[in-house]
Amino acid sequence: MIRFEGVSHQYGTLEALRGVSFEVPAGALCVLLGESGSGKSTLLRTVNRLIEPTAGRVLLDGRDVAGIDPQALRRGIGYVIQSVGLFPHRSVAGNVATVPRLLGWDRARVEPRVNALLEMVGLDPGTYRDRRPATLSGGQAQRVGLARALAADPPVLLMDEPFSALDPGTRRGLQTALRRIHAETGKTILLVTHDLEEALVLADRIAVMAEGRLVAEGPPAEVLGPGAPEAVRRMVRTGALVLHRLAALPAAGAAENGPAPGSPGLPAGATLEDALLLMLAHGTDSVALEGAPPRHLTMTAILRASAP
Amino acid sequence: MRGARAARLAAEALAFLAALLAAPRAEALWHALFPEVARPTFQQDSWFLLLGWHLVLSLGAVGLAAVIGIPAGILATRPAGRRMRPLLDAIFSLAQGIPPVAAVALALPLLGFGAAPTLLALVLYAALPVLRATVSGLDSVPAGALEAARGLGFSPWQRLRDVELPLARPVLLVGMRLALTLSVATTAVGAVAGARCLGTPIVTGLANANPSYVLQGAIFTAWLALLLDRALGLLGAPSPEASSSPGSGGAQP
Repeated sequence: MIRFEGVSHQYGTLEALRGVSFEVPAGALCVLLGESGSGKSTLLRTVNRLIEPTAGRVLLDGRDVAGIDPQALRRGIGYVIQSVGLFPHRSVAGNVATVPRLLGWDRARVEPRVNALLEMVGLDPGTYRDRRPATLSGGQAQRVGLARALAADPPVLLMDEPFSALDPGTRRGLQTALRRIHAETGKTILLVTHDLEEALVLADRIAVMAEGRLVAEGPPAEVLGPGAPEAVRRMVRTGALVLHRLAALPAAGAAENGPAPGSPGLPAGATLEDALLLMLAHGTDSVALEGAPPRHLTMTAILRASAP
Repeated sequence: MRGARAARLAAEALAFLAALLAAPRAEALWHALFPEVARPTFQQDSWFLLLGWHLVLSLGAVGLAAVIGIPAGILATRPAGRRMRPLLDAIFSLAQGIPPVAAVALALPLLGFGAAPTLLALVLYAALPVLRATVSGLDSVPAGALEAARGLGFSPWQRLRDVELPLARPVLLVGMRLALTLSVATTAVGAVAGARCLGTPIVTGLANANPSYVLQGAIFTAWLALLLDRALGLLGAPSPEASSSPGSGGAQP
């Protein structure tokens, strides 16, 4: 659990953070969303003390991080950055083993751990272990970056615009991998992005930053609701926010009991946006939810959910 | 590839040694080149002894230059030492600006004749390329790798030892190579101060109007400089996998 209490930071005369307070519950994937210069990266970097708050404090499981040795603190927190920062003189396996080595694990423990992590991030250990970072694509490199961050099994993972430099297809692949890893490992993840769609795909909770302040925080559907802050509205085309909000609502929540014969099937776990797109694609006004018992979803239900 | 280059270099080194062995016996050659010189063959000292001293002086000087220049370069790239960077560069530039022959002459009253003033002059001359190479090597380390090292919990010392120095190594070796080439070529001035080296025949030749001695000393000095330069190039030949990663550029979020 990460807790920010009145965190402020000043670079010279520039107030990068102005009294930010909120809490990331244990096991949550919280997205820090904001435009460039909103202070989101600065806030993230206060957690592992790459930046020290000039006022306020950051608590990790109830302990003030200011009282923890920075190196020990950082070895206990996963860290992934946009530029990846793999060590070019080390193999993929050597990069992944970085933190376990710093912690003095013996070889017998490191080797299987490296293989398991490469598999977790979707890279075949046999193919990739001995490759050099220079031979990897951007997406592969960031998968290695993610494996390196997870190597010593830290309970908390900090990710600073991890996928922003990747092309859209690669980015979606990594987002899917991250969601799966989050579900499998239950890590507490704090991820910085300026991309609202990415936030919607990944987040359990969204914290919106603007001009160094926290302007909204909560589950995605709530943050994107009718009271959405200006900072969020600016990120999308006028009026399109309502569509993005549908992507944050599960279709199952608006479904009614009973079959809908002849309607296209919607996979379990789909969102209201998926349901609407399916209706638009088939020209129908209802879709059937796959699975038992039979349930379906109507256009009217979507309209009710989108403008409560 | 590398094996073939090493073999060629070894062959050339053998040729160099053979030439050293042949030089005092090649009276006919020197006489043909310099018919007006009465005694054109340098025989006052063993060429191998001169070579040995030459190597001791120039390698020793580069070693000392490294001991001074590398820590100075590390200091100049630390956050705490960054402000000293222009000052350090100015001091080392000034040191190199003193012509070695003048440095030898100025050091004579203090250090006496022989190896000591020569070493001093060579160190002053070679420290600048080592400093500059250290600084640019450390500056060339990708910002992303440094940021990652910090964020993953490396101590400043571990960051230097495990990330910065290995990544700076190719650039640093280029500087060491330059320092050594300069040093080997410049060691010859030591003969002015009476240090025995491959410059001895040159100085003797100049003093006695014997251009044949000068030529012999110059040939072996230059040849040695080239040989050592290539030997270091072989040691520090950047391997393909040491090139930078596409994912480790300096992009900032």
